[in-house]
Amino acid sequence: MDQAVGADVRPFIQVSEVWVPEGDRLVLAGGCYGGLDAFEASSRHESFAKGEGLPGKAWDEARPVVLKGFEGSYFKRTEAASAAGLTSAVAIPVFAGAKLKAVLVVLCGDDANRTGAIEVWQEKDGLLMLDDGYYGAAKHFEWVSQHTHFPRGQGLPGGVWASETPMLMRDLGSGYRFIRSESAGRAGLTTGLGLPVPAPLKGTYVLTLLSARGTPIARRFEIWDARDAKVGKENEAVLIDGICARDGKLWDEDNTRRVAAWQGVIGRVLGTGVPVVESGSPGLTAGYDSVVAFPIHRGGELAHVVAWYI
Amino acid sequence: MKKLVVIGAGMASGRVLEHLFESAPDAYEVTLFNAENRGNYNRIMLSPVLSGEKSYEEIVTHDEAWYAANKVTCRFGEHVVGIDRARKVVIGQNGEVPFDKLLIATGSAPFIIPVQGKDLPGVVSYRDLDDTEAMIEAAGTRDAKAVVIGGGLLGLEAAAGLRLRGMDVTVLHLMGHLMERQLDEAAGYLLKRDLEKRGIRVITRASTAAILGEERVEGVLLEDSTGLKADLVVMAVGIRPEARLATDAGLETGRAIVVDAQMVTSDPDILAVGECVEFDGNLFGLVAPLYDQAKVAAATLLGEPSAFVMRETATKLKVTGCDLFSAGDFAEKDGREDIVYRDPGRGIYKRLVLEGEKLVGAVMYGDTADGGWFHGLIKDQTDISEMRETLIFGPAYQGGAALDPMAAVAALPADAEICGCNGVCKGRIVEAIEGGAHSLDDVRAVTKASGSCGTCTGLVEQVLAVTLGDAFELPTAKPVCGCTDLTHEDVRRLIKAQELKSQPAVWQELGWKTPNGCHVCRPAVNFYLLADWPLEYQDDPQSRFVNERNHANIQKDGTYSVMPRMWGGMTNPEELIAIAEAAKKYGATVKVTGGQRIDLLGVKKEDLPAIWADLNGAGMVSGHAYSKGLRTVKTCVGSDWCRFGTQDSTGLGIKLEKRLWGSWTPHKVKLAVSGCPRNCAEATCKDVGVVCVDSGYQVGVGGAAGMDVKETERLVDVATEEEAIEWTVAFVQLYRENAKYLDRPYKWIAKVGLDWVKEVLSDPAERAALVGRFDISQSVYQKDPWAERARPEAARRFLPLADLTLEAAE
Repeated sequence: MDQAVGADVRPFIQVSEVWVPEGDRLVLAGGCYGGLDAFEASSRHESFAKGEGLPGKAWDEARPVVLKGFEGSYFKRTEAASAAGLTSAVAIPVFAGAKLKAVLVVLCGDDANRTGAIEVWQEKDGLLMLDDGYYGAAKHFEWVSQHTHFPRGQGLPGGVWASETPMLMRDLGSGYRFIRSESAGRAGLTTGLGLPVPAPLKGTYVLTLLSARGTPIARRFEIWDARDAKVGKENEAVLIDGICARDGKLWDEDNTRRVAAWQGVIGRVLGTGVPVVESGSPGLTAGYDSVVAFPIHRGGELAHVVAWYI
Repeated sequence: MKKLVVIGAGMASGRVLEHLFESAPDAYEVTLFNAENRGNYNRIMLSPVLSGEKSYEEIVTHDEAWYAANKVTCRFGEHVVGIDRARKVVIGQNGEVPFDKLLIATGSAPFIIPVQGKDLPGVVSYRDLDDTEAMIEAAGTRDAKAVVIGGGLLGLEAAAGLRLRGMDVTVLHLMGHLMERQLDEAAGYLLKRDLEKRGIRVITRASTAAILGEERVEGVLLEDSTGLKADLVVMAVGIRPEARLATDAGLETGRAIVVDAQMVTSDPDILAVGECVEFDGNLFGLVAPLYDQAKVAAATLLGEPSAFVMRETATKLKVTGCDLFSAGDFAEKDGREDIVYRDPGRGIYKRLVLEGEKLVGAVMYGDTADGGWFHGLIKDQTDISEMRETLIFGPAYQGGAALDPMAAVAALPADAEICGCNGVCKGRIVEAIEGGAHSLDDVRAVTKASGSCGTCTGLVEQVLAVTLGDAFELPTAKPVCGCTDLTHEDVRRLIKAQELKSQPAVWQELGWKTPNGCHVCRPAVNFYLLADWPLEYQDDPQSRFVNERNHANIQKDGTYSVMPRMWGGMTNPEELIAIAEAAKKYGATVKVTGGQRIDLLGVKKEDLPAIWADLNGAGMVSGHAYSKGLRTVKTCVGSDWCRFGTQDSTGLGIKLEKRLWGSWTPHKVKLAVSGCPRNCAEATCKDVGVVCVDSGYQVGVGGAAGMDVKETERLVDVATEEEAIEWTVAFVQLYRENAKYLDRPYKWIAKVGLDWVKEVLSDPAERAALVGRFDISQSVYQKDPWAERARPEAARRFLPLADLTLEAAE
């Protein structure tokens, strides 16, 4: 685990934005653009119909979508993205039952110098296969992943699939025997967050974010459990796992952290069921520059919130 | 400063030191021995380290800096070889340390079952970080297989961790359900299902005979000769307190080191805490009481008054996504009552056990939100009489009046989900009703509500009643018993549709209101399961009536009748001599029955195995005169002897009996074959009666000659004996697969109609399929119960392990 938090961290994900339905279009609800002001400005004027652009495609297909290379694609902000050095994006729809709550879009760039992995795993014939993923410079790991499949209960994707619960894995590449550990170790991947992505139409999807030491996806991860089965009827959540480069372990069996709806960033997700991207207020983001707090619904109800900070 | 020596740097002694340094940092100079080469870490979090969901650094409780700050002399990796009480020194491998006070916290050692191969490389226990690392290493081999022996907390956590690491994992558990000390059968079933969903194979009632391998472990052999390949075997069958040092030092020990309520051993200067102690006859394995002990021990070391008291502990399993909670005592006993809540759609099971006005136990699976609250009620022995009606719904529901189910349905908003399986909300059902769906079937057809698991049927009917007012009459279909609102037909349909293959599966998935069913539903469900899943389901003797359990008919004076089978009513001098000798030897009264058999009456229960052995010895098997199954096939002498006989009725009767005997049916089944229409075998009042004629065979079904008297109805006329047998077997199987338990064939036919029976059976493919399924069932069930029980040593060995929570069906 990293102990020092460098001020000059080069994050793997450069832009995170939340699009929410308004009438028959998706409009921008919030985002963190990491100083890419021109791209932010162009996004603020954008909206997407169902099937239009990347957010619209994720809405229409009701599944996570990975897009590598914008030129000549259905991506609508290609010019602004190219100018900002952004080359790839992943859109993750948030459905509560059949209802679309939002689409989270993350954008990455600088492929040759940043390592990490954002992967979408899809169930085919009883196994999870890689649907697509963005790996930056981790080309060998990308190849290994394309040739790996996970049965139920095995590895981070298989574990998430079987337990229907987000999971946070440590030390992916060190002495531990993570299924793709050898290659993960070479790529410098350390921490993995896996989450189920409910797809109302058809199919089972698991999203994994694998963070590397040098160009992390996040320096702090949290998993909150908001199910009635865990917290009762109150609209609250308890922290069930978490790890932070600064504070170390965040979980405490004896003193569980609990938040209620509308309390802080996690509380806002509990209250709205929509992802929250917050930046520029370190007081709200555990001392980090930004946070993405992402809801996972199960059976139409909010079940978990995962958050990643950088 | 006084000298304190601590042996063992586990969680209990670690907590003692924390309390000690907090209260009086300068009271003692502490030396800490630990056999492991590291200090105190949170041992109960080893499973997430195994799975990769935590790192070792995260579970370290006391690091080097902590020991240094508290001036603890650490002697890690050093074994203590003895305690000299006279000189007051602890003897370590590297030298002695004097003490004023000594704290023994040696914990426990894993219990290793004494089987061949237990010492092979690759066989590990699961107690410490070294074990965990060995398991992680083993999981690094591609396609490696692990067998975990023991389906308790530790074993299951190991299994889940190894599975996440990519291993092919099988759990072997000796008992009938997982975690039997913490969970009841219903919760154990849900846990098993959850683990199987993760790709973990679970085998219950699995007794390990040997661990196989030459250089290292290669497999596990079970008592039933099943062989399993294994690259790693994890022994997690239990723990044994580690009390050897104390015993050698002459301290009082029983099963562990005996301590008083101040945690002081038989030597006033020596204390002990943790899994190595015995207090008031109790041993300890969970962490909560250990922390209580630690607090008391610290106070005692500081000369402060304090006393350890036993308290109820609760159990949690650290497998991501498995929510279970168990506290208190949930065994069934006289004077106890259960409150059960099940939500099959969400996989939720909750059971509260009440004794008088107190809650004494709680088991929950899938929804543990109120676990802490229930645990509090148990610990505090709270009087729950005021909240009894709504107790199961947890604290959020307390203070209100008992719910009127109709008012509650009326108050539901339109988007409230009624049918969890198909995601149908109240508004959709109301729409359908307004659109003209005025019966349950109509609503089911339009909306699919109640079309899957069926447990919301009552709720859908209430929505119909609320919406239509008195235009809807709640149906009066009779449920199986008070344990369920479902009818026998519903239960049969759902057992097939949902592929339910065990009793716990039925109780959970069909929302039974009681933990294990009752004397009414258990025999029925037992039959339905064995009829539908002969290969997968294991017959449950405790769900059978007393005659079926004892394989003999109990008589009014408590003695039994014994009746050997006589195929088609034929016998011979040897059999008759054997019967006569048995009658004499056991003082039996002899009676010739209406079914052409010889009944021996008045046999004492203790003589049953011996008389069975004698009759077996003469080549005879049980006549099943007590069973819900094939009883007798009565025949006339047929064409061999009779002037009027048209066919070999005796031969056909024998063939039918040899084909059908041993099969369990919804009620008893009697057959007869008459050789001509004069019908000397009275075939026209049997469940199946064949009358031979010149042109072939007339097969009739649904006769009766008991409380009701009824002539058979013609099922079919066939030309050959083979066809007569095929139709009869197919009919019996159709009856087995469809009839309500305890309906004789004539009652069943009255419900489904003979036309339907004829329609099904007249399709040759369907007939062949029915015969095929019957033969599969017979491959399991056509066995002589006498032979299995006649030998005394076998009788003992095959005695089923009684689940004392089950009340035998009478």
